[in-house]
Amino acid sequence: MTPARTAAARPGAALLTAAALLVGVGGLLLVALTLPVPGDGTPPNARLWLAGILALLAVGAVGVRGAAQGESRAARTLPAAFTLLLAVLGTEALLRAYAVPAGLIPTPGRVLSALWTARTVLLQDTYTTFVLEALLGFVAGTVLGLGLALLVVRFRFLERGLLPYAALFSSIPIVALAPVIVKAVGLDWPSKTVVVAVTVLFPVVVGAVRGLQSASRLHLDLMHTYAATPAQTFRDVRVPGALPFVFGALKVASTLALISAIVAEFFGTNGHGLGFRIQIEVGRFGLDIVWAAIVLASVAGIAFFALVSAAETRLLPRAGRS
Amino acid sequence: MTALRPSRAAGLGPMLIVALIAAALYWPLMLAANVGPAGRTLASGAELECRTALACASQLRNPVVPAPAQLAQGFMRLSTPVTSPLALPYNVGVTAGETLLGLLLATVTGIGLALLLVASRAFERATLPWLVASQTVPVVAIAPMLAVLLGQYGVQGFLPKAIIAAYIAFFPIAVGMSRGLRSADPLHLDLMRTYHASSAQTYRLLRFPASLPHLFTALKVAVTSALVGSIVAEISTISFSGLGKMLAENSRASDTVALWVIMGYGAVLGVTLVALVNALERWVTPWSRR
Repeated sequence: MTPARTAAARPGAALLTAAALLVGVGGLLLVALTLPVPGDGTPPNARLWLAGILALLAVGAVGVRGAAQGESRAARTLPAAFTLLLAVLGTEALLRAYAVPAGLIPTPGRVLSALWTARTVLLQDTYTTFVLEALLGFVAGTVLGLGLALLVVRFRFLERGLLPYAALFSSIPIVALAPVIVKAVGLDWPSKTVVVAVTVLFPVVVGAVRGLQSASRLHLDLMHTYAATPAQTFRDVRVPGALPFVFGALKVASTLALISAIVAEFFGTNGHGLGFRIQIEVGRFGLDIVWAAIVLASVAGIAFFALVSAAETRLLPRAGRS
Repeated sequence: MTALRPSRAAGLGPMLIVALIAAALYWPLMLAANVGPAGRTLASGAELECRTALACASQLRNPVVPAPAQLAQGFMRLSTPVTSPLALPYNVGVTAGETLLGLLLATVTGIGLALLLVASRAFERATLPWLVASQTVPVVAIAPMLAVLLGQYGVQGFLPKAIIAAYIAFFPIAVGMSRGLRSADPLHLDLMRTYHASSAQTYRLLRFPASLPHLFTALKVAVTSALVGSIVAEISTISFSGLGKMLAENSRASDTVALWVIMGYGAVLGVTLVALVNALERWVTPWSRR
């Protein structure tokens, strides 16, 4: 371990790493550009190209390994970025080398162009799925969940009677729940919002209750000796103690929200939404649009998660962060 | 153990009361939800055995919320004969099998990935951000397409659903397991070093046992996602059995009562699978029992 790290600090090793990355990425880019798009021209000699592509990927991997040495900021971020770049370029080159038809796996380039040409439709779908269904449902589920958690903590009867059900309900697969709700509420987007709210509700209730009850006996006793009112104790001890748990639950819920919105759309829509688009385009073998929709859904999912994490860093004191 | 028992008995009382309240609320809720459609059906001049909208509310063919009698009827209709491939018990079994096979595949892949993550820092830095990001990606979205892809290469029947279930379930296992392998007490690790233990011995005697609680926490998350994965896979591939196929069929036919019954079965299956993982955990790690 140690010799490798000291070697990376030397300028020679850094130069070697940069060269390996350059050769790997540049070579793959060149290969991907030289090979014809599947369906155009004669299919190339796949085996020969495969050897070349694998060799370039290996060189790139050596570069990534070199870049990951040390503790600098670059060593933490660059390897991941280059891995993505190498993976995308390698996929493009391999798909072209084997002339895989676009109806089976579209090349990343084709997906990018589909993302651009179908941008108005896809953005509208993203708006429906992400803003109207996932985000709205998430907010509704969170508010309801926090309210329920307060009631559960206040009344011991509810804790014994309601909480076990909440834990039970969270192990129900959303897919089984979605068609029932969609049929009951209707085909428009509110039905999907309800599905999202229901799936978000249970983890939030369980997390918030656990958090509100996590206040240590010592702190509560201290507040008692200060003659603090119950409201003060609640505000100054219980709520700050609960926040890490609540945010943990919210992070889980943020990923659940988007997934359940997309799944719920499989059971009937009025023609909008990423789930609907994916379902319909798979049937028509328009796989470039499908992948474009998945890319948008992923970006929305990552942004959503990042948003919740950012709120966590703003609101939580340093020590409580998970 | 004896201290546990009274609190457990006391805990059942409130649960029962809440269940009774929910059951009592169900009837008026059902009537309120169905009165509108029932009125419309009456107004359209359909031949019905009931006169008022309120009386019809519990007898609609496609109710918004089915009446208890309808649910019982639907349950009997869909559950018997028990061994028939058209009945729910058989289909639940198929989905359960796919889910468990998927979970097995996911566990093997996840643990392998976790070992790589712990062994190589370069590998971790290159891939971990994407593993974490992929947890926020709606992976179910990929299922329909993965099904088409696997079908093209001749993977058919039971296996593609299990693969999709595994694909959705292996990320939490990989992340949980790698966290677990790192959770070994530094003091214990130092002790192993002073014993001159080999790396394999350290893994076998210290890191694996230490990682088991983390692994089981991840497995509980993974089994629910694997279930969702196999159901989604059944919906989006050509399938002849399974809960997903029943859901898709009855959703298309707008058979609301059947959807409710299937939801019930799905819930029972989900709860059972989690209970199974819990039982396995108690059996494998008896020392962590509280």
